[in-house]
Amino acid sequence: MMSQEPPIIRLEGVSKRYPPDTTALSNINLDIEKGEFVFLTGQSGSGKSTLLRLLFCAQRPTEGDVCIDGVALSSLSNAQVPHLRRKIGVIFQDFKLLTSRTVFDNVALSLEVIGLKREQVEKRVKQVLEGVGLLGKMQRLPLQLSGGEQQRVAIARAVVNRPPIILADEPSGNLDRQRTDEVMVLMEELNARGATIVFATHDERLYENTHRRVLHLVNGRAEAVR
Amino acid sequence: MTVGILTRRALADLRQHLGTQFMTTVVVSLSILIFTFFSLMYFNLQRFVERFGTELGLVIFLEETTLQDRIPVLYQDLARLSGVESVRYVSPEEAFKRLETYLHEEREVLAGVDPTFLPASFELQVNRAVFNLDRIGQLAAEIGAWPEISKVQYGQEWIHRLEVFSNVVRLIVLVAGVLLLFTATFVVASTIKLTVYARQDELEILRLVGATNVFIQGPFLIEAFLQGLVGSVLAVAFVFLCYRYLGGLLVHSEVLRGVAFSFLPWSYVATIVSSSVALCVFGTTLAMRRFLRL
Repeated sequence: MMSQEPPIIRLEGVSKRYPPDTTALSNINLDIEKGEFVFLTGQSGSGKSTLLRLLFCAQRPTEGDVCIDGVALSSLSNAQVPHLRRKIGVIFQDFKLLTSRTVFDNVALSLEVIGLKREQVEKRVKQVLEGVGLLGKMQRLPLQLSGGEQQRVAIARAVVNRPPIILADEPSGNLDRQRTDEVMVLMEELNARGATIVFATHDERLYENTHRRVLHLVNGRAEAVR
Repeated sequence: MTVGILTRRALADLRQHLGTQFMTTVVVSLSILIFTFFSLMYFNLQRFVERFGTELGLVIFLEETTLQDRIPVLYQDLARLSGVESVRYVSPEEAFKRLETYLHEEREVLAGVDPTFLPASFELQVNRAVFNLDRIGQLAAEIGAWPEISKVQYGQEWIHRLEVFSNVVRLIVLVAGVLLLFTATFVVASTIKLTVYARQDELEILRLVGATNVFIQGPFLIEAFLQGLVGSVLAVAFVFLCYRYLGGLLVHSEVLRGVAFSFLPWSYVATIVSSSVALCVFGTTLAMRRFLRL
């Protein structure tokens, strides 16, 4: 059944080229509905990360346009970009945590940038850390945690301000099977709560038995597997 | 977003990157120290030139033909001039005695010389508050035009030499100031750039979670403000201590007896400190420009 709402993510004829002649993405057309969970797959260098970077406006497309929640990113000034990013939680393979700050401080960062009061920040961060099973380790530094725990901190940071969209760029790439399953469970839970998830991975095991939509990228071109 | 959050982050950053912050503050402090030192030298030299010129007073030589009964009249005329504090008549005989005293052991050279061969003169002291060097020059020209006056001296050559020297020092201070300004801006910007490079991951994460440029740049600007403030205050305090110490030594110096040294006016100190703060904030803004794009 077709959704009545406009897609939360829309890519129209999006291409991204790097000088002198590297084409990372070529004429991508894609609609992702609100609440959808989409796997983005493909070999290394197929353009998965580039596509995600276009979605959170870390880069601009060479051609075409990206719309997030009805807003064309080409119409956004650089000063408006941070406000768009607050609607998107991003999770990376290498976690991207501040190693000199505690788990609590890392997660709190997403709330501090939106100017929440200290008490509110504390309450929300504790809630989220409890959700990912790290409340007891909130005063630890990231390097004192296992890889799976670090990734859970990164997930907590991405979701603590309750963004409607979550982009995950190979979040299980550095994790063993058990930790990967834990991450998948967390992502499923977030999706069940209404978050739209774009999950980039080259691990076929994660999507081979799923009913989710899978978008396969080959040399910067999109092929919908299902 | 509140200033409180930015200040808290700035203080946390200061604690975490104490070594780099210390290095930047030292660079700022040294630059300001050199500038303040030169400024102090120039300021005192300028004051010395002013005071030297006025303390010399004027010596007014009379024509040989001036009649004795004209002396009291001239004395009164000179004493009536506005700003004149004292007038003293020096007769040819007194001038001769002074010359003898001055020659001391070589006074024999004056043997057989007519004790009245030196011209009579008046010595004028003027009010230092009223007369600057230009006005003394004008007064000398005015008196020199009187018919009985042969010559008026007020140490023009010395003053002129001192003025030239003072101008050279001023030029050095200006050039050194401008060079130091550029050097300090460059060094501060480079140091901050290194700090920013070292914290690139942090900036990337901040951008990722939707931090605005103000949120990213704010703590860096607060740190720069503190570096400029602490660096300049330390520099000025160091120069002040040196001034106090050297001032104490010079009091006992025979050569510089009577020369009063003074510290820079507080308005000048305030300008140095605020310029240092502005310099650091400007350097930080320059250094961060390219890190604040998309």
